[in-house]
Amino acid sequence: MTHASIFLTSAALGLVVLTGGAYAVLYSAGLARSSLRLERAGYVCYGGQLLIVLAVCLASPLGWLWKVFIAVSGVAYGFIPPVTWRLLDTLHHDRSP
Amino acid sequence: MYRSQKLGLRYLTAAIVLFGVMTVAGLLSAYYYVDPSLFYGVFDFQMAKILHINTLIIWLLMGFIGAVYWFLPKELGREVAGIWLAEILFWVFCAAVAVVAVVFVVVQYGTSDQFSMWFINQGRKYVEAPRWAAVAIVAVVLTFVYNVTATAWQSRKMTGILWVLILDLVPLTVLYLDAFPQITNMSQDLYWWWWLVHMWVEATWEVLIGCLMAWSLMELLGTSRRIVEAWLYIEVMLVLGTGILGLGHHYFWIGTPQYWLGIGGFFSALEPLPLLGMVVHAVYDAGTHRMKTTNRPAFYWVMAEAFGNFIGGGMWGFMMTLPQINLYSHGTQWTVSHGHFAFWGAYGCGVIAIVYLILKQARAAEDLDSRAWKWGFGLLNLGLLGMVGALLIAGITQAVYERAEGGSTLQAFVVASENHWFQSGMYARLVFGALFTIGYLILAYDLLTIGRRAASIPARVAPG
Repeated sequence: MTHASIFLTSAALGLVVLTGGAYAVLYSAGLARSSLRLERAGYVCYGGQLLIVLAVCLASPLGWLWKVFIAVSGVAYGFIPPVTWRLLDTLHHDRSP
Repeated sequence: MYRSQKLGLRYLTAAIVLFGVMTVAGLLSAYYYVDPSLFYGVFDFQMAKILHINTLIIWLLMGFIGAVYWFLPKELGREVAGIWLAEILFWVFCAAVAVVAVVFVVVQYGTSDQFSMWFINQGRKYVEAPRWAAVAIVAVVLTFVYNVTATAWQSRKMTGILWVLILDLVPLTVLYLDAFPQITNMSQDLYWWWWLVHMWVEATWEVLIGCLMAWSLMELLGTSRRIVEAWLYIEVMLVLGTGILGLGHHYFWIGTPQYWLGIGGFFSALEPLPLLGMVVHAVYDAGTHRMKTTNRPAFYWVMAEAFGNFIGGGMWGFMMTLPQINLYSHGTQWTVSHGHFAFWGAYGCGVIAIVYLILKQARAAEDLDSRAWKWGFGLLNLGLLGMVGALLIAGITQAVYERAEGGSTLQAFVVASENHWFQSGMYARLVFGALFTIGYLILAYDLLTIGRRAASIPARVAPG
């Protein structure tokens, strides 16, 4: 790895998590405040995350197995906020003992 | 108030005092990077650093123990079993910490023999306390475990949170025993030592703070037990599922077999995912309650914990956890940046939130809203963010110039240390460290005067 590729790959991986977090926050805030604009901003962040994942897969010096793993986890990031939200909603509205 | 709760308050007071010692020792360590001659030959950098990281562990541990002693009698509706023993052991704990601190400051180190290990320094990072003090800590923790389990047993009552807590206390205690072996093979020694450090920080402590947050959310937001317990089970499953084998990221470069590169990289890369769930949970709670609570400081610190844990542990960790990058980043200030951010987010903010929650009840304070807590909150978090940013810049400089370009030679170390990006990072860390220290002082003032300050206002107004 060259020094530029270390820095860029690391920054890209950090951004993958950051954009995933931004998606989670905006998506959840959108649902909490019934704001379609916030929810859409969340999807934009997720789109940004997928682009960064794509860049990592195409341009980083990581091995192919790691790239597959990062691509799969990029997809997983998309599901976590809605699934978690649904789970929390179910827990809060389930009145069974 | 139960005796156990009074004991809990004493533990939390000791924790906040040690938080201060940790902050001062950290500031001193930061200063050595810009002026190594300060106290040279009298109290060197390594001793300040030892004091800094050992007080880090102890203040958080005392915070956890204090919080459990506070919540436990409320949970079970009875006094804690064997509380007299816990009260004695509290003073033993404090005395041990004080004596060890004095030895670290005055004696510092000895020759490489059994006497030094037993009475001066055990020589293992994070658990440097000499052997006699380590034995005392085991006694304290065993008493704590006895208190919790015996109280649950005698009350004939068990809750989901208590089950998780008791099951967690077993590995928490057993893993500390890893501080004791004397293994001369360094790879083997580090292999087991990481069980203690990693499994405490990224497994058993995560579960412990999860239990404490479950109790806190019930009191802070009135969330039902069913919800917090269900969420606790899910979080514990996910955190342990990724955290236990995430241990592998410490095994990359210590002489363990190559398969740890894959295992460590894979499981540590999964670690941000449960944290993402916590962020959604935090936003859900904030949205459900419209940010309204009777304890704003505690609420804001809980929020800081969720986001700090995600960014400090998740984002900062993922930047450097894959072995290809970790080859260059490990052991640099980059790791230090991650360590500061993750500890603060995962535990520091959580313990402060719990202290605010408990003090409101203990002092029957009606309103905690003040300028002091906001300044404390702002400066501590700003100081911490500035520090981790500065350390990140310094660490990347090391990774690039010392490791990637210089090939990790001593000459490369010197070159990287003289690089202006590294030096600027160290200066910036010192400035933000000072800001953090001011934040601590304001926090300490606020905690000291909560309730009392509110009570004094009507007293002053009344005569007029």
